[in-house]
Amino acid sequence: MIMDKLNVTLTAVKNLRSNVRQCFEHLADGTDGEGVEESRNKFVHEFQEKYNNINSQLREVEQLINGLQVPPTAYHLGNTTYLAQETSQDRQALYPQLVNSYKWIDKVHDHSFLAFNNLNQNTLRRSYNYCSQKRQRLPFSSFNNDPDHIEKLLSEINYPTHTTYKVFRPFGSNAVAIVTIANVLKAAIVFKGVLIEWVTVKGFDEQLDHDDLWAESRYEVFRKVQEHTHSAMLHFYSPTLPDLAVKSYMTWLNSHYKLFLEPCKRCGKFIANGLPPTRRDLRTLEPFHEECRNC
Amino acid sequence: MGVTVLQPYPLPDGKSGAHIIDLLGKRLLSLGATHAGQFLVDCETFISTPQHGAPTRAVHVLHNSEYPASTFSMIDNGTGKQVSLVADNIFDLLMLKMTATFTSKKQTKIESRGARFEYGDFVIKLGSVTMMEHFKGILIEIEYRPCVMLSYCWEMIREMLQGFLGINVAKEYPSYFTTQTIINAMGQQQVHPKQNDIYEPMDTVKQYLEHFTNYRKHVQMHTAMGGTGGGGVGGPVVMGMQPSSVGGAGMGRA
Ligand SMILES: [Zn+2]
Repeated sequence: MIMDKLNVTLTAVKNLRSNVRQCFEHLADGTDGEGVEESRNKFVHEFQEKYNNINSQLREVEQLINGLQVPPTAYHLGNTTYLAQETSQDRQALYPQLVNSYKWIDKVHDHSFLAFNNLNQNTLRRSYNYCSQKRQRLPFSSFNNDPDHIEKLLSEINYPTHTTYKVFRPFGSNAVAIVTIANVLKAAIVFKGVLIEWVTVKGFDEQLDHDDLWAESRYEVFRKVQEHTHSAMLHFYSPTLPDLAVKSYMTWLNSHYKLFLEPCKRCGKFIANGLPPTRRDLRTLEPFHEECRNC
Repeated sequence: MGVTVLQPYPLPDGKSGAHIIDLLGKRLLSLGATHAGQFLVDCETFISTPQHGAPTRAVHVLHNSEYPASTFSMIDNGTGKQVSLVADNIFDLLMLKMTATFTSKKQTKIESRGARFEYGDFVIKLGSVTMMEHFKGILIEIEYRPCVMLSYCWEMIREMLQGFLGINVAKEYPSYFTTQTIINAMGQQQVHPKQNDIYEPMDTVKQYLEHFTNYRKHVQMHTAMGGTGGGGVGGPVVMGMQPSSVGGAGMGRA
Protein backbone atom coordinates (compact mmCIF):
# COMPACT_ATOMS: atom_id res chain seq x y z
CA MET A 1 0.00 0.00 0.00
CA ILE A 2 2.63 2.44 1.05
CA MET A 3 4.61 1.64 -2.06
CA ASP A 4 1.57 2.18 -4.25
CA LYS A 5 0.93 5.61 -2.77
CA LEU A 6 4.54 6.52 -3.17
CA ASN A 7 4.44 5.46 -6.81
CA VAL A 8 1.30 7.49 -7.51
CA THR A 9 2.93 10.52 -5.90
CA LEU A 10 6.09 10.09 -7.95
CA THR A 11 4.02 9.87 -11.13
CA ALA A 12 2.16 13.06 -10.14
CA VAL A 13 5.47 14.86 -9.60
CA LYS A 14 6.62 13.61 -12.99
CA ASN A 15 3.45 14.93 -14.66
CA LEU A 16 3.82 18.26 -12.92
CA ARG A 17 7.35 18.62 -14.14
CA SER A 18 6.46 17.77 -17.71
CA ASN A 19 3.56 20.26 -17.68
CA VAL A 20 5.77 23.01 -16.33
CA ARG A 21 8.25 22.23 -19.04
CA GLN A 22 5.58 22.35 -21.74
CA CYS A 23 4.31 25.66 -20.41
CA PHE A 24 7.76 27.21 -20.50
CA GLU A 25 8.33 25.90 -23.99
CA HIS A 26 5.07 27.51 -25.05
CA LEU A 27 6.21 30.82 -23.57
CA ALA A 28 9.59 30.59 -25.23
CA ASP A 29 8.02 29.94 -28.64
CA GLY A 30 6.02 33.16 -28.33
CA THR A 31 3.36 34.22 -30.88
CA ASP A 32 3.64 33.32 -34.50
CA GLY A 33 1.96 36.44 -35.98
CA GLU A 34 3.02 40.07 -35.55
CA GLY A 35 0.67 42.29 -33.67
CA VAL A 36 -2.37 40.38 -34.78
CA GLU A 37 -4.89 40.68 -32.03
CA GLU A 38 -6.46 37.30 -32.65
CA SER A 39 -3.31 35.27 -32.29
CA ARG A 40 -2.23 37.19 -29.23
CA ASN A 41 -5.51 36.39 -27.57
CA LYS A 42 -5.16 32.75 -28.51
CA PHE A 43 -1.66 32.65 -27.10
CA VAL A 44 -2.70 34.18 -23.78
CA HIS A 45 -5.65 31.86 -23.61
CA GLU A 46 -3.54 28.77 -24.13
CA PHE A 47 -1.05 29.99 -21.54
CA GLN A 48 -3.79 30.50 -19.00
CA GLU A 49 -5.09 26.99 -19.65
CA LYS A 50 -1.63 25.47 -19.11
CA TYR A 51 -1.05 27.59 -16.04
CA ASN A 52 -4.32 26.44 -14.51
CA ASN A 53 -3.30 22.85 -15.27
CA ILE A 54 -0.08 23.38 -13.40
CA ASN A 55 -1.92 24.82 -10.45
CA SER A 56 -4.33 21.94 -10.23
CA GLN A 57 -1.50 19.40 -10.51
CA LEU A 58 0.49 21.20 -7.86
CA ARG A 59 -2.45 20.93 -5.56
CA GLU A 60 -2.77 17.27 -6.36
CA VAL A 61 0.88 16.69 -5.57
CA GLU A 62 0.55 18.54 -2.26
CA GLN A 63 -2.49 16.46 -1.37
CA LEU A 64 -0.71 13.23 -2.18
CA ILE A 65 2.35 14.24 -0.19
CA ASN A 66 0.22 15.00 2.78
CA GLY A 67 -1.36 11.60 2.45
CA LEU A 68 2.02 9.84 2.67
CA GLN A 69 3.00 8.29 5.99
CA VAL A 70 6.41 7.90 7.46
CA PRO A 71 7.18 4.23 6.87
CA PRO A 72 7.57 2.10 9.99
CA THR A 73 10.66 0.29 8.64
CA ALA A 74 13.33 1.16 6.14
CA TYR A 75 12.59 0.40 2.54
CA HIS A 76 14.37 -2.46 0.95
CA LEU A 77 16.27 -0.79 -1.82
CA GLY A 78 18.38 -3.63 -3.18
CA ASN A 79 22.00 -2.89 -3.88
CA THR A 80 21.46 0.80 -3.67
CA THR A 81 21.30 0.49 0.12
CA TYR A 82 25.01 0.04 0.14
CA LEU A 83 25.48 3.52 -1.18
CA ALA A 84 24.55 5.11 2.09
CA GLN A 85 26.17 2.58 4.35
CA GLU A 86 29.17 2.73 6.50
CA THR A 87 32.20 2.49 4.20
CA SER A 88 34.98 2.17 6.70
CA GLN A 89 37.48 -0.28 5.23
CA ASP A 90 38.01 -2.02 8.52
CA ARG A 91 34.35 -2.91 8.85
CA GLN A 92 33.81 -4.09 5.31
CA ALA A 93 36.96 -6.24 4.92
CA LEU A 94 36.75 -5.36 1.25
CA TYR A 95 40.32 -4.29 0.88
CA PRO A 96 41.98 -7.73 0.80
CA GLN A 97 39.38 -9.00 -1.64
CA LEU A 98 39.92 -6.03 -3.89
CA VAL A 99 43.66 -6.52 -3.81
CA ASN A 100 43.19 -10.19 -4.69
CA SER A 101 40.95 -9.55 -7.64
CA TYR A 102 43.22 -6.80 -8.85
CA LYS A 103 46.16 -9.18 -8.74
CA TRP A 104 44.11 -11.86 -10.46
CA ILE A 105 43.03 -9.61 -13.30
CA ASP A 106 46.60 -8.43 -13.67
CA LYS A 107 47.77 -12.04 -13.97
CA VAL A 108 45.06 -12.93 -16.46
CA HIS A 109 46.13 -10.00 -18.52
CA ASP A 110 49.78 -11.02 -18.43
CA HIS A 111 49.05 -14.65 -19.25
CA SER A 112 46.71 -13.90 -22.08
CA PHE A 113 49.26 -11.50 -23.53
CA LEU A 114 51.97 -14.17 -23.44
CA ALA A 115 49.64 -16.82 -24.82
CA PHE A 116 48.59 -14.53 -27.62
CA ASN A 117 52.20 -13.90 -28.59
CA ASN A 118 53.09 -17.58 -28.42
CA LEU A 119 50.16 -18.70 -30.47
CA ASN A 120 50.95 -16.11 -33.07
CA GLN A 121 54.56 -17.28 -33.36
CA ASN A 122 53.86 -21.01 -33.53
CA THR A 123 51.26 -21.73 -36.08
CA LEU A 124 49.86 -24.52 -33.96
CA ARG A 125 46.32 -23.33 -34.28
CA ARG A 126 44.41 -26.15 -35.75
CA SER A 127 41.28 -26.10 -37.72
CA TYR A 128 38.72 -26.33 -34.93
CA ASN A 129 39.91 -23.29 -33.01
CA TYR A 130 40.33 -21.45 -36.15
CA CYS A 131 36.97 -22.49 -37.38
CA SER A 132 35.04 -21.16 -34.42
CA GLN A 133 36.84 -17.85 -34.14
CA LYS A 134 37.50 -16.54 -37.56
CA ARG A 135 35.22 -18.21 -40.00
CA GLN A 136 33.26 -15.04 -40.66
CA ARG A 137 36.33 -13.05 -41.49
CA LEU A 138 37.48 -15.28 -44.31
CA PRO A 139 34.73 -15.65 -46.82
CA PHE A 140 36.92 -18.03 -48.90
CA SER A 141 38.09 -20.12 -46.00
CA SER A 142 40.38 -23.09 -45.96
CA PHE A 143 37.44 -25.29 -45.01
CA ASN A 144 35.90 -24.74 -48.31
CA ASN A 145 34.62 -28.19 -49.00
CA ASP A 146 34.25 -27.89 -52.69
CA PRO A 147 34.90 -31.56 -53.56
CA ASP A 148 36.48 -30.79 -56.89
CA HIS A 149 38.93 -28.37 -55.39
CA ILE A 150 41.15 -31.00 -53.75
CA GLU A 151 41.13 -33.10 -56.87
CA LYS A 152 42.16 -30.09 -58.92
CA LEU A 153 44.77 -29.06 -56.38
CA LEU A 154 46.36 -32.52 -56.28
CA SER A 155 46.37 -32.79 -60.05
CA GLU A 156 48.17 -29.45 -60.31
CA ILE A 157 51.07 -30.71 -58.21
CA ASN A 158 54.04 -31.62 -60.30
CA TYR A 159 54.70 -35.15 -59.15
CA PRO A 160 57.88 -37.00 -59.93
CA THR A 161 57.22 -40.01 -62.13
CA HIS A 162 57.71 -42.45 -59.26
CA THR A 163 54.84 -41.02 -57.24
CA THR A 164 51.23 -41.96 -57.75
CA TYR A 165 48.12 -41.02 -55.83
CA LYS A 166 44.45 -41.75 -55.72
CA VAL A 167 41.68 -39.82 -53.99
CA PHE A 168 38.59 -41.21 -52.35
CA ARG A 169 36.01 -39.85 -49.95
CA PRO A 170 35.04 -42.22 -47.15
CA PHE A 171 33.97 -39.31 -44.91
CA GLY A 172 31.44 -37.51 -47.05
CA SER A 173 32.94 -34.58 -48.86
CA ASN A 174 36.32 -34.71 -47.09
CA ALA A 175 39.00 -36.34 -49.21
CA VAL A 176 41.63 -38.96 -48.40
CA ALA A 177 44.59 -39.22 -50.74
CA ILE A 178 46.69 -42.40 -50.79
CA VAL A 179 50.10 -41.47 -52.09
CA THR A 180 52.56 -44.17 -53.15
CA ILE A 181 56.14 -43.00 -53.38
CA ALA A 182 58.24 -45.25 -55.60
CA ASN A 183 58.50 -48.73 -54.09
CA VAL A 184 59.37 -47.20 -50.75
CA LEU A 185 56.27 -46.12 -48.86
CA LYS A 186 52.58 -45.40 -48.89
CA ALA A 187 50.96 -42.48 -47.12
CA ALA A 188 47.30 -41.81 -46.45
CA ILE A 189 46.62 -38.08 -46.21
CA VAL A 190 43.31 -37.21 -44.60
CA PHE A 191 42.02 -33.79 -45.59
CA LYS A 192 39.48 -31.57 -43.95
CA GLY A 193 38.57 -29.18 -46.68
CA VAL A 194 41.99 -28.23 -47.99
CA LEU A 195 43.70 -28.66 -44.62
CA ILE A 196 45.73 -31.77 -43.88
CA GLU A 197 44.31 -33.32 -40.73
CA TRP A 198 46.20 -36.61 -40.42
CA VAL A 199 48.86 -38.64 -42.16
CA THR A 200 49.50 -42.38 -41.86
CA VAL A 201 52.72 -43.79 -43.28
CA LYS A 202 53.21 -47.44 -44.11
CA GLY A 203 55.63 -49.65 -45.97
CA PHE A 204 55.22 -50.48 -49.64
CA ASP A 205 54.25 -54.06 -48.83
CA GLU A 206 51.72 -53.15 -46.14
CA GLN A 207 47.98 -52.80 -46.52
CA LEU A 208 46.68 -49.23 -46.49
CA ASP A 209 43.05 -48.86 -47.42
CA HIS A 210 40.20 -46.76 -46.19
CA ASP A 211 39.04 -49.34 -43.65
CA ASP A 212 42.30 -49.08 -41.83
CA LEU A 213 43.63 -45.55 -42.11
CA TRP A 214 44.77 -45.24 -38.52
CA ALA A 215 46.73 -48.43 -37.83
CA GLU A 216 50.46 -47.92 -37.40
CA SER A 217 53.07 -49.50 -39.62
CA ARG A 218 54.64 -52.72 -38.37
CA TYR A 219 58.05 -51.29 -39.24
CA GLU A 220 59.82 -48.97 -36.84
CA VAL A 221 61.22 -46.84 -39.66
CA PHE A 222 57.78 -45.91 -40.99
CA ARG A 223 56.46 -45.21 -37.51
CA LYS A 224 59.31 -42.73 -37.11
CA VAL A 225 58.67 -41.22 -40.54
CA GLN A 226 55.04 -40.81 -39.58
CA GLU A 227 56.05 -38.84 -36.47
CA HIS A 228 58.04 -36.51 -38.68
CA THR A 229 55.21 -36.16 -41.19
CA HIS A 230 53.04 -34.95 -38.34
CA SER A 231 55.44 -32.25 -37.24
CA ALA A 232 55.82 -31.24 -40.89
CA MET A 233 52.04 -31.05 -41.14
CA LEU A 234 52.07 -28.39 -38.42
CA HIS A 235 55.02 -26.64 -39.98
CA PHE A 236 53.45 -26.27 -43.41
CA TYR A 237 50.03 -25.40 -42.01
CA SER A 238 48.86 -22.09 -43.40
CA PRO A 239 45.18 -21.13 -43.22
CA THR A 240 45.60 -18.11 -45.43
CA LEU A 241 47.36 -20.00 -48.25
CA PRO A 242 45.99 -23.53 -47.88
CA ASP A 243 46.75 -24.54 -51.45
CA LEU A 244 50.38 -23.54 -51.17
CA ALA A 245 50.59 -25.40 -47.85
CA VAL A 246 49.40 -28.64 -49.46
CA LYS A 247 51.78 -28.22 -52.39
CA SER A 248 54.83 -27.57 -50.18
CA TYR A 249 53.88 -30.51 -48.00
CA MET A 250 53.65 -32.86 -50.96
CA THR A 251 57.05 -31.70 -52.22
CA TRP A 252 58.52 -32.45 -48.84
CA LEU A 253 56.80 -35.84 -48.64
CA ASN A 254 58.06 -36.82 -52.08
CA SER A 255 61.66 -36.44 -50.95
CA HIS A 256 61.17 -39.69 -49.00
CA TYR A 257 61.70 -41.75 -52.13
CA LYS A 258 65.37 -41.65 -51.12
CA LEU A 259 64.58 -42.76 -47.56
CA PHE A 260 66.93 -45.78 -47.73
CA LEU A 261 69.24 -44.37 -50.35
CA GLU A 262 70.81 -41.35 -48.69
CA PRO A 263 73.12 -41.27 -45.68
CA CYS A 264 72.69 -38.74 -42.88
CA LYS A 265 73.97 -35.29 -43.80
CA ARG A 266 75.50 -34.81 -40.35
CA CYS A 267 77.25 -38.08 -39.52
CA GLY A 268 77.54 -39.50 -43.05
CA LYS A 269 76.24 -42.91 -41.98
CA PHE A 270 73.18 -44.80 -43.12
CA ILE A 271 72.25 -46.45 -39.86
CA ALA A 272 71.91 -45.06 -36.35
CA ASN A 273 70.11 -47.16 -33.73
CA GLY A 274 68.96 -49.55 -36.39
CA LEU A 275 67.24 -46.84 -38.41
CA PRO A 276 68.09 -44.91 -41.57
CA PRO A 277 67.93 -41.08 -41.51
CA THR A 278 64.17 -40.66 -40.99
CA ARG A 279 64.01 -36.91 -40.64
CA ARG A 280 64.04 -34.71 -43.74
CA ASP A 281 64.83 -31.02 -43.42
CA LEU A 282 61.68 -29.00 -44.06
CA ARG A 283 63.41 -26.54 -46.38
CA THR A 284 66.45 -28.25 -47.85
CA LEU A 285 64.90 -31.78 -47.83
CA GLU A 286 68.26 -33.14 -46.59
CA PRO A 287 68.15 -36.36 -44.56
CA PHE A 288 69.17 -36.56 -40.90
CA HIS A 289 69.02 -39.15 -38.16
CA GLU A 290 66.71 -38.19 -35.38
CA GLU A 291 69.73 -38.15 -33.05
CA CYS A 292 71.74 -35.96 -35.40
CA ARG A 293 69.40 -33.07 -35.92
CA ASN A 294 70.30 -31.05 -32.84
CA CYS A 295 74.02 -31.49 -32.67
CA MET B 1 58.71 -59.03 -46.57
CA GLY B 2 62.04 -57.33 -47.00
CA VAL B 3 65.25 -57.74 -48.90
CA THR B 4 67.62 -60.48 -47.77
CA VAL B 5 71.31 -60.83 -48.49
CA LEU B 6 73.54 -63.76 -47.60
CA GLN B 7 77.15 -63.20 -46.64
CA PRO B 8 79.57 -66.09 -46.00
CA TYR B 9 81.93 -65.25 -43.17
CA PRO B 10 85.48 -66.48 -43.72
CA LEU B 11 86.68 -68.57 -40.82
CA PRO B 12 90.07 -67.35 -39.58
CA ASP B 13 92.70 -70.04 -39.14
CA GLY B 14 92.65 -71.78 -35.81
CA LYS B 15 89.25 -70.40 -34.75
CA SER B 16 86.25 -72.64 -34.27
CA GLY B 17 82.89 -71.83 -35.81
CA ALA B 18 81.24 -71.75 -32.40
CA HIS B 19 83.74 -69.22 -31.15
CA ILE B 20 83.15 -66.85 -34.09
CA ILE B 21 79.37 -67.19 -33.80
CA ASP B 22 79.64 -66.38 -30.10
CA LEU B 23 81.78 -63.32 -30.86
CA LEU B 24 79.44 -62.01 -33.56
CA GLY B 25 76.41 -62.56 -31.31
CA LYS B 26 78.03 -60.53 -28.54
CA ARG B 27 78.85 -57.75 -30.97
CA LEU B 28 75.25 -57.59 -32.13
CA LEU B 29 73.99 -57.46 -28.56
CA SER B 30 76.35 -54.65 -27.62
CA LEU B 31 75.20 -52.76 -30.71
CA GLY B 32 71.68 -52.81 -29.28
CA ALA B 33 70.23 -55.79 -31.13
CA THR B 34 67.94 -58.22 -29.31
CA HIS B 35 68.07 -61.98 -29.46
CA ALA B 36 64.85 -63.23 -31.08
CA GLY B 37 64.74 -66.98 -31.34
CA GLN B 38 66.41 -69.51 -33.61
CA PHE B 39 66.20 -70.24 -37.30
CA LEU B 40 66.73 -73.14 -39.68
CA VAL B 41 67.05 -73.41 -43.43
CA ASP B 42 67.53 -76.92 -44.81
CA CYS B 43 67.95 -78.39 -48.26
CA GLU B 44 67.58 -81.91 -49.61
CA THR B 45 68.31 -82.81 -53.21
CA PHE B 46 66.60 -85.55 -55.19
CA ILE B 47 68.02 -86.97 -58.41
CA SER B 48 65.89 -88.50 -61.15
CA THR B 49 66.53 -92.16 -61.93
CA PRO B 50 68.47 -92.32 -65.20
CA GLN B 51 66.32 -93.10 -68.22
CA HIS B 52 67.27 -93.69 -71.82
CA GLY B 53 67.94 -90.47 -73.64
CA ALA B 54 66.62 -88.11 -70.94
CA PRO B 55 69.16 -86.05 -68.97
CA THR B 56 69.12 -86.46 -65.18
CA ARG B 57 67.16 -83.89 -63.34
CA ALA B 58 67.64 -82.61 -59.82
CA VAL B 59 64.89 -81.43 -57.50
CA HIS B 60 66.02 -79.30 -54.58
CA VAL B 61 63.58 -79.17 -51.68
CA LEU B 62 64.16 -76.43 -49.10
CA HIS B 63 62.49 -75.27 -45.89
CA ASN B 64 62.86 -71.87 -44.26
CA SER B 65 61.76 -71.46 -40.64
CA GLU B 66 60.74 -67.88 -41.49
CA TYR B 67 57.96 -69.41 -43.65
CA PRO B 68 57.08 -72.48 -41.60
CA ALA B 69 54.02 -73.51 -43.61
CA SER B 70 55.77 -73.61 -46.97
CA THR B 71 58.04 -75.98 -48.83
CA PHE B 72 60.17 -74.47 -51.55
CA SER B 73 61.37 -76.54 -54.45
CA MET B 74 63.43 -76.04 -57.57
CA ILE B 75 63.75 -78.32 -60.55
CA ASP B 76 67.08 -78.16 -62.29
CA ASN B 77 66.98 -79.89 -65.68
CA GLY B 78 70.71 -79.73 -66.18
CA THR B 79 70.63 -77.07 -68.91
CA GLY B 80 70.76 -74.15 -66.50
CA LYS B 81 67.03 -73.61 -66.61
CA GLN B 82 65.33 -73.64 -63.24
CA VAL B 83 61.68 -73.96 -62.37
CA SER B 84 60.76 -72.94 -58.86
CA LEU B 85 57.68 -73.73 -56.84
CA VAL B 86 56.30 -72.71 -53.46
CA ALA B 87 53.93 -75.28 -52.00
CA ASP B 88 52.34 -76.32 -48.70
CA ASN B 89 54.27 -78.60 -46.39
CA ILE B 90 52.43 -81.60 -47.78
CA PHE B 91 54.76 -81.39 -50.76
CA ASP B 92 57.32 -83.28 -48.64
CA LEU B 93 55.00 -86.28 -48.49
CA LEU B 94 54.54 -86.09 -52.23
CA MET B 95 58.30 -86.40 -52.72
CA LEU B 96 58.33 -89.51 -50.53
CA LYS B 97 55.78 -91.08 -52.91
CA MET B 98 58.01 -90.42 -55.88
CA THR B 99 60.93 -92.60 -54.88
CA ALA B 100 60.46 -94.52 -58.14
CA THR B 101 61.52 -91.51 -60.20
CA PHE B 102 63.43 -89.37 -57.69
CA THR B 103 65.88 -90.65 -55.11
CA SER B 104 67.20 -88.56 -52.28
CA LYS B 105 70.93 -87.91 -52.07
CA LYS B 106 70.95 -88.25 -48.29
CA GLN B 107 74.65 -87.60 -47.99
CA THR B 108 74.24 -84.07 -49.39
CA LYS B 109 71.50 -83.00 -46.99
CA ILE B 110 72.65 -79.60 -45.82
CA GLU B 111 71.33 -76.99 -43.43
CA SER B 112 72.08 -73.63 -41.85
CA ARG B 113 70.89 -73.00 -38.33
CA GLY B 114 71.58 -70.65 -35.49
CA ALA B 115 70.47 -67.60 -33.56
CA ARG B 116 68.20 -64.89 -34.91
CA PHE B 117 68.67 -61.23 -33.90
CA GLU B 118 66.56 -58.14 -34.46
CA TYR B 119 68.03 -54.65 -34.69
CA GLY B 120 65.61 -51.89 -35.62
CA ASP B 121 63.89 -53.32 -38.67
CA PHE B 122 66.86 -55.55 -39.47
CA VAL B 123 66.75 -59.30 -38.92
CA ILE B 124 70.19 -60.87 -38.66
CA LYS B 125 70.79 -64.61 -38.56
CA LEU B 126 74.10 -66.14 -37.63
CA GLY B 127 74.02 -69.46 -39.42
CA SER B 128 76.30 -72.46 -38.98
CA VAL B 129 76.20 -74.56 -42.12
CA THR B 130 76.44 -78.30 -41.55
CA MET B 131 76.25 -81.20 -43.97
CA MET B 132 75.82 -84.68 -42.53
CA GLU B 133 76.67 -83.28 -39.06
CA HIS B 134 79.89 -81.81 -40.42
CA PHE B 135 80.51 -78.08 -39.95
CA LYS B 136 80.99 -76.34 -43.29
CA GLY B 137 81.18 -72.63 -42.48
CA ILE B 138 79.41 -69.54 -41.27
CA LEU B 139 76.69 -68.02 -43.41
CA ILE B 140 75.25 -64.68 -42.27
CA GLU B 141 71.74 -63.77 -43.37
CA ILE B 142 70.65 -60.15 -43.12
CA GLU B 143 67.18 -58.93 -43.96
CA TYR B 144 65.95 -55.35 -44.06
CA ARG B 145 62.22 -55.83 -43.68
CA PRO B 146 60.72 -52.40 -44.60
CA CYS B 147 62.35 -52.34 -48.04
CA VAL B 148 61.22 -54.32 -51.07
CA MET B 149 64.05 -53.65 -53.57
CA LEU B 150 67.74 -54.31 -53.13
CA SER B 151 68.82 -51.25 -55.14
CA TYR B 152 67.10 -49.02 -52.57
CA CYS B 153 68.77 -50.41 -49.48
CA TRP B 154 71.96 -52.19 -50.54
CA GLU B 155 74.20 -49.44 -49.14
CA MET B 156 72.38 -49.64 -45.81
CA ILE B 157 72.72 -53.41 -45.66
CA ARG B 158 76.36 -53.17 -46.67
CA GLU B 159 77.12 -50.62 -43.95
CA MET B 160 75.37 -52.84 -41.41
CA LEU B 161 77.30 -55.95 -42.50
CA GLN B 162 80.67 -54.19 -42.49
CA GLY B 163 79.84 -52.67 -39.15
CA PHE B 164 79.30 -55.82 -37.15
CA LEU B 165 81.30 -58.33 -39.20
CA GLY B 166 84.38 -56.12 -39.39
CA ILE B 167 85.12 -57.27 -42.94
CA ASN B 168 85.06 -55.45 -46.24
CA VAL B 169 81.96 -56.11 -48.31
CA ALA B 170 82.22 -55.31 -52.02
CA LYS B 171 80.33 -52.27 -53.24
CA GLU B 172 78.75 -54.24 -56.08
CA TYR B 173 75.39 -55.91 -55.58
CA PRO B 174 75.73 -59.56 -54.52
CA SER B 175 76.21 -61.81 -57.54
CA TYR B 176 72.83 -63.50 -57.13
CA PHE B 177 71.14 -60.23 -58.14
CA THR B 178 73.35 -59.34 -61.09
CA THR B 179 73.78 -62.71 -62.80
CA GLN B 180 70.13 -63.64 -63.28
CA THR B 181 69.10 -64.12 -66.88
CA ILE B 182 65.71 -64.08 -68.52
CA ILE B 183 64.58 -64.99 -72.02
CA ASN B 184 63.58 -61.83 -73.82
CA ALA B 185 60.86 -61.39 -76.43
CA MET B 186 63.31 -62.34 -79.18
CA GLY B 187 63.99 -65.66 -77.50
CA GLN B 188 67.50 -64.67 -76.43
CA GLN B 189 69.01 -64.98 -72.99
CA GLN B 190 69.56 -61.61 -71.37
CA VAL B 191 71.05 -60.48 -68.06
CA HIS B 192 68.28 -59.21 -65.84
CA PRO B 193 69.16 -56.69 -63.09
CA LYS B 194 67.28 -58.33 -60.26
CA GLN B 195 68.19 -55.61 -57.77
CA ASN B 196 65.34 -53.55 -59.24
CA ASP B 197 62.73 -56.28 -58.82
CA ILE B 198 60.34 -56.57 -55.92
CA TYR B 199 61.99 -59.10 -53.61
CA GLU B 200 60.19 -62.39 -52.93
CA PRO B 201 60.65 -65.16 -50.34
CA MET B 202 61.75 -67.44 -53.19
CA ASP B 203 64.77 -65.17 -53.74
CA THR B 204 65.99 -65.97 -50.23
CA VAL B 205 65.63 -69.69 -50.85
CA LYS B 206 67.43 -69.47 -54.20
CA GLN B 207 70.32 -67.63 -52.55
CA TYR B 208 70.57 -70.34 -49.92
CA LEU B 209 70.61 -72.97 -52.64
CA GLU B 210 73.44 -71.15 -54.43
CA HIS B 211 75.53 -71.06 -51.26
CA PHE B 212 74.66 -74.63 -50.27
CA THR B 213 75.75 -75.79 -53.74
CA ASN B 214 79.08 -74.00 -53.22
CA TYR B 215 79.57 -75.70 -49.83
CA ARG B 216 78.79 -79.10 -51.37
CA LYS B 217 81.38 -78.55 -54.09
CA HIS B 218 84.02 -78.00 -51.42
CA VAL B 219 83.38 -81.39 -49.85
CA GLN B 220 86.22 -83.09 -51.68
CA MET B 221 88.64 -80.28 -50.87
CA HIS B 222 87.84 -80.37 -47.15
CA THR B 223 88.16 -84.12 -46.87
CA ALA B 224 91.43 -83.91 -48.75
CA MET B 225 92.70 -81.45 -46.12
CA GLY B 226 92.58 -84.21 -43.58
CA GLY B 227 89.45 -85.41 -41.87
CA THR B 228 89.00 -82.94 -39.05
CA GLY B 229 88.95 -79.88 -41.34
CA GLY B 230 85.28 -79.32 -40.75
CA GLY B 231 85.04 -80.19 -37.07
CA GLY B 232 81.58 -80.24 -35.54
CA VAL B 233 80.07 -77.02 -34.28
CA GLY B 234 81.64 -76.34 -30.93
CA GLY B 235 83.35 -79.72 -31.25
CA PRO B 236 85.35 -80.53 -28.15
CA VAL B 237 88.47 -81.20 -30.21
CA VAL B 238 88.70 -77.70 -31.66
CA MET B 239 87.70 -76.02 -28.42
CA GLY B 240 90.31 -78.01 -26.55
CA MET B 241 92.96 -76.94 -28.97
CA GLN B 242 92.28 -73.26 -28.40
CA PRO B 243 91.74 -72.68 -24.69
CA SER B 244 93.15 -69.16 -24.86
CA SER B 245 90.78 -68.12 -27.59
CA VAL B 246 87.80 -69.29 -25.55
CA GLY B 247 88.89 -66.99 -22.78
CA GLY B 248 89.39 -64.30 -25.36
CA ALA B 249 85.69 -64.20 -26.10
CA GLY B 250 85.73 -60.91 -24.22
CA MET B 251 86.91 -59.39 -27.48
CA GLY B 252 83.29 -59.44 -28.40
CA ARG B 253 82.67 -56.42 -26.24
CA ALA B 254 84.38 -54.17 -28.73
ZN1 LIG C 1 73.32 -39.10 -38.49
